[in-house]
Amino acid sequence: MVRNRSVELAMSGIIETLLWGIANGCIYILLATGLNIIFGVMKLVNFAHGQLLMIGAYVAFSVSTAFGLNTYLSILVAMAAMALVGVALERLTFRRVLGTDKLNEIFVSLGLIYVFENAAVLLWGNKLKQIPNPLQGEGLLLGDVLIGYDRLLAILIVAVILAALFILLKKTKIGLAMRATSQKSETSMLMGVNIEKVYIFTFALGAALAGAAGALYGILLPFNPGIGALPTIKAFAIIMLGGLGSIPGAVVGGLLYGIAETMAVYFLGGIWQDAIAFALLIIVLVIKPTGLFGEKGE
Amino acid sequence: MQNLFTQLLGSIERELLNFRQSERLYFVLGAAAVGLAVPLIASEYVVGEVLTPMLIFMIYASSWNLLAYSGQGSLGHAAFLGIGGFASALLAIKLNLPPVLCLLLGSLFSAAIGLLIGLVCVRLKAWFLAMVTFGFSVIIVTLISQFDVFIGGIMGFPTPLIVERGLPFYYMTFALAAISIFVMYLLIKSKTGLAFRAIHENEPEANMIGINIAKYKLIAFVLSTFFAGLAGGLYAQSIRYIQVSVFDPYYSFLPLMMAVIGGLRTTEGPIIGSAIIVTINSYLHKIDNMLHGLMSPLFPNVSNVGPPLRMLSLGLFLVIVVIFLPKGVSSLLPKIRKYFREETKKGG
Repeated sequence: MVRNRSVELAMSGIIETLLWGIANGCIYILLATGLNIIFGVMKLVNFAHGQLLMIGAYVAFSVSTAFGLNTYLSILVAMAAMALVGVALERLTFRRVLGTDKLNEIFVSLGLIYVFENAAVLLWGNKLKQIPNPLQGEGLLLGDVLIGYDRLLAILIVAVILAALFILLKKTKIGLAMRATSQKSETSMLMGVNIEKVYIFTFALGAALAGAAGALYGILLPFNPGIGALPTIKAFAIIMLGGLGSIPGAVVGGLLYGIAETMAVYFLGGIWQDAIAFALLIIVLVIKPTGLFGEKGE
Repeated sequence: MQNLFTQLLGSIERELLNFRQSERLYFVLGAAAVGLAVPLIASEYVVGEVLTPMLIFMIYASSWNLLAYSGQGSLGHAAFLGIGGFASALLAIKLNLPPVLCLLLGSLFSAAIGLLIGLVCVRLKAWFLAMVTFGFSVIIVTLISQFDVFIGGIMGFPTPLIVERGLPFYYMTFALAAISIFVMYLLIKSKTGLAFRAIHENEPEANMIGINIAKYKLIAFVLSTFFAGLAGGLYAQSIRYIQVSVFDPYYSFLPLMMAVIGGLRTTEGPIIGSAIIVTINSYLHKIDNMLHGLMSPLFPNVSNVGPPLRMLSLGLFLVIVVIFLPKGVSSLLPKIRKYFREETKKGG
């Protein structure tokens, strides 16, 4: 009887961990998708993408605390603000190094990491913050397991955003232009696609997705200016898992990754949380240098 | 290996012939004279806390630069800095070997690990490589804390000395830095260096003319990690203490910033870059106080405005250098020289 009880407890622990994993995975999916779209269209990797998530979280925090905006509406504000930041970034920095040495993109992103993190410290301070969560502690009680509404809602929001993104890419003119550019940028230029506009739009879209991810992160977890670095790397691991340029791949990879990570913490201990990400990344890259489902390199 | 050695000898010969005709010889001799003379008049603090770290970071940034010559960029070089530091200190403490030998063994150990990581990395393109090297520097912290009973890296421990700190340590570091940078310079001028540059310029074409890309990338990786390990061993000695914090991403980004700001893929770039950044870092508290005094009314949320503002400026500076001055600060030198020459001509 006692044994059954402990098994039950372990089971409920695993289920709760699983839910956490899926909710975390959803945040990573948004980030990875943004990174992936930017890479697919512009062949550019923005290592400062996680810092956009962090700034997005702060924007949502500011509008929901200072102006008392509904927490979930603040996600939209964060997305809009980050889209603007994305446009500025693309115009002022990445545009100028695109097509030069690949290392230059890495250098620019590194510089931007310093700029964003310290700008956030200057504007919002160093202390942990959290966006007010109206659904804190509320949820469905299934046996011992509390299924938090905030997590479920986060998963739902990510699903809606991804569906909208899918429609945008498949059904609209700009989506068509983006897909064309990602396949062959010169040819699509000859076909009358305004590559410059597509690049700006793509970067803004990717940044907006990072902003949404940041707002969701800020609702579920406390954050400070330093949180951006690890999500970037995790998003990278997810893209590796799911394949460069593939959005369904990023979704599958993100869910797998989120679950693997929380399970590793549950079974192996917190110290393994980050090492697991890199171990996974390195193993995948050793076996297949272009990622699991990746297309051939450029 | 022997091949590499004969190549090095060959480039020494060529360089000596060229040196006599070029102005570069005077520059090198002048720099060496300054490097030898300045510590005699500088204060103890400046020698210990500014000039010696500057030399160590010159080795470290040059090692990063060597890797960049072959078109590879590492975001986890701190792993090798730390491995070199830990290996040399642990060998000296646990096996009681002479510290000089340990310094060499530590660098070799770092190069051996570099060989293993390099075997994974040679097939990877720019950003994959960046991620894997960065990941390695994070994993190694987890590993060290797992085997902490033996390594003792979390709490850290004092490092054994080779020579007395102060001037003796400075001159030893100076000699090692001069030798390392000279060897790296010769390497770049040799056939191997030519292969590195060809790979960086155009990998498929380099492959086509018969350069074994994997082999040369691996050579670059191993040599770079060797010198990074050497810098690590010296660094552990100069700060008197080694701790797991040496693997912090900050130490991975530092050589990159130095090389890029100074001038990527030039010999003098990392030297100038580390001189600039170490000088800034050494007078941090003064800079921070000044910035705080100037700007604190603007940012009421922060207790000390200095550090974030300074880091922000550093990041901005890096971005600006990459965009507007892709060859780094050192590319300004010839322009300045030309300007002065024209001025003197006008005057004469």
